[in-house]
Amino acid sequence: MFLLLPFDSLVVNLLGISITVLFTLLLVFIIVPAIFGVSFGIRKIYMKTLLKIFQWATLRIERGAKEKNHPLYKPYVNGIIAKEPTSLEEEIKEIRRSGSGKALDTPEFELSDIFYFCRKGIETIMDDEVTKRFSAEELESWNLLSRTNYNFQYISLRLTVLWGLGVLIRYCFLLPLRIALAFTGISLLVTGTTVVGYLPNGRCKDFLSKHVHLMCYRICVRALTAIITYHDRENRPRNGGICVANHTSPIDVIILASDGYYAMVGQIHGGLMGVIQRAMVKACPHVWFERSEVKDRHLVARRLTEHVQDKSKLPILIFPEGTCINNTSVMMFKKGSFEIGATVYPVAIKYDPQFGDAFWNSSKYGMVTYLLRMMTSWAIVCSVWYLPPMTRQPEEDAVQFANRVKSAIARQGGLVDLLWDGGLKREKVKDAFKEEQQKLYSKMIVGSHEDRSRS
Amino acid sequence: LSSSLAVTSEQIEHLHRRFKQLSQDQLTIRKENFDSIPDLEFNPIRGKIVHAFFDKRNLRQESDGLADEINFEDFLTIMSYFRPIEMNMDEEQLDRFRKEKLKFLFHMYDSDHDGKITLQEYRNVVEELLSGNPHLEKESARSIADGAMMEAASICVGQMGPDQVYEGITFEDFLKMWQGIDIETKMHVRFLNVDTIAHCY
Repeated sequence: MFLLLPFDSLVVNLLGISITVLFTLLLVFIIVPAIFGVSFGIRKIYMKTLLKIFQWATLRIERGAKEKNHPLYKPYVNGIIAKEPTSLEEEIKEIRRSGSGKALDTPEFELSDIFYFCRKGIETIMDDEVTKRFSAEELESWNLLSRTNYNFQYISLRLTVLWGLGVLIRYCFLLPLRIALAFTGISLLVTGTTVVGYLPNGRCKDFLSKHVHLMCYRICVRALTAIITYHDRENRPRNGGICVANHTSPIDVIILASDGYYAMVGQIHGGLMGVIQRAMVKACPHVWFERSEVKDRHLVARRLTEHVQDKSKLPILIFPEGTCINNTSVMMFKKGSFEIGATVYPVAIKYDPQFGDAFWNSSKYGMVTYLLRMMTSWAIVCSVWYLPPMTRQPEEDAVQFANRVKSAIARQGGLVDLLWDGGLKREKVKDAFKEEQQKLYSKMIVGSHEDRSRS
Repeated sequence: LSSSLAVTSEQIEHLHRRFKQLSQDQLTIRKENFDSIPDLEFNPIRGKIVHAFFDKRNLRQESDGLADEINFEDFLTIMSYFRPIEMNMDEEQLDRFRKEKLKFLFHMYDSDHDGKITLQEYRNVVEELLSGNPHLEKESARSIADGAMMEAASICVGQMGPDQVYEGITFEDFLKMWQGIDIETKMHVRFLNVDTIAHCY
């Protein structure tokens, strides 16, 4: 008993010293640069080192697989078959034209019409677009996160040790560090915005609130070890505009908001989120809706329009897809935000899946599990492209405008542009869509037939 | 970036994985497994397409009728009807290639396996293709089919006497109707080459 005492105090001392050291390091290297928007470049070095290690690990797996003479599982990201971009009408016309040479203004049923549907059917059987989009994108190299690899059986002892080391580092060193940072960031946000909220309205308040928000987002970015590359920053959204981006995870908000000043739109939640939301709105006007108000589309549109028309208010940040998609494609944009008539600033966000899978499959993981997964990944590497602003042309309606913006985003981010509704993840195929193809075809045939029978 | 080569071992690997996905890791697929493909519900002739997978004539089996289930080899056999043309095919091979594809389509129409497409079978296909339109009455669909059948008859047999009965479209007649349409270049599914993920740094 007596002998333990000196050791006891020694241990306590050591613990105390290490915590102090850790905290000072944290402060100096992470928090202070975040406040001033400076970067030491530590994260970039970290990323490069990780990349080298991943490449080495992949080579080892490939070598291991070759030794055992077994083909490796190499998934293709964008599907395995090339789908023709032509529409139903074009294809059927083309086939008929080359066939019986019938004049195209008297369309009627042709034997060859079956061909288009047959081929489309086989294509879908071979490779289905939609369900693929909703599971996490499969990787081509191993990133030492066992969550996403199917080639497990080719791992040697060396790799296993490395993987074990990786787990240790991620869970025991990086995770507590990140949690501490996140905690600091959020508490600073809440206290900062509340304090700023007491100031009288004016330029000073705006200035301070912008910077408090920015500082806290930057700390959160570091809390996730997010390494972001911004492109075309001259196109950043301005006051009175709407910023539109594709949605992969809740982190998108943090990523965008750490490089610009935005007003958020969303539903008021309870709990911690609610506290943060209420604090934020004290410092500068965000648009928060009660749960009941969300259903009322006109009310939502009206409030957004009011916000946008006030030039002193910050640009709104909206994710029109409505749900998280796995970052290989952009799904249908809901037209609500495009009806308001403000200038739209599209932004494309593309995550590099090598370092950590940022996709939030909300039917599989809850928010807390998701955040834990994020914080135990190596890093989150992404690119943000600011696209030039777009406005609605007089001859297009909201849906066409939404599609135009969506294509621009998809093209920039190297994402596949899909017509499907993101809500498909949870519901079954909407009957309206089912009817469309069949209706189109039958209209083509029947419409003309009726003309002929009349004449 | 699409490859127009014949099916490589990589592609077989893909198809195998797709097969396993559809069969839910069983060794064979049944008709019900095709219900799990949401895009397929769009297609008005999905019944016939799924049917085609189990049609013993397409599976190159000696007997007739429908199989209950198919294994991966059968799956590949059906997929081979949608192979793209190879660069080095000669006239005879091309012709055989074309006939095979057209035979596949012929089997889709000829549901009772008697080697002829009768009026009833033709009507059946037209009704299915137009089934998406709720405003279309059965009578209209039927008259459209009848009109088209008459056209087909005139192409195949020429002018018929008033008491001649047109039994049905045989495979040779079917071939005649597709003359001029280069089905072999259209009826295929191409595999993509390796994709590049947009790099973020």
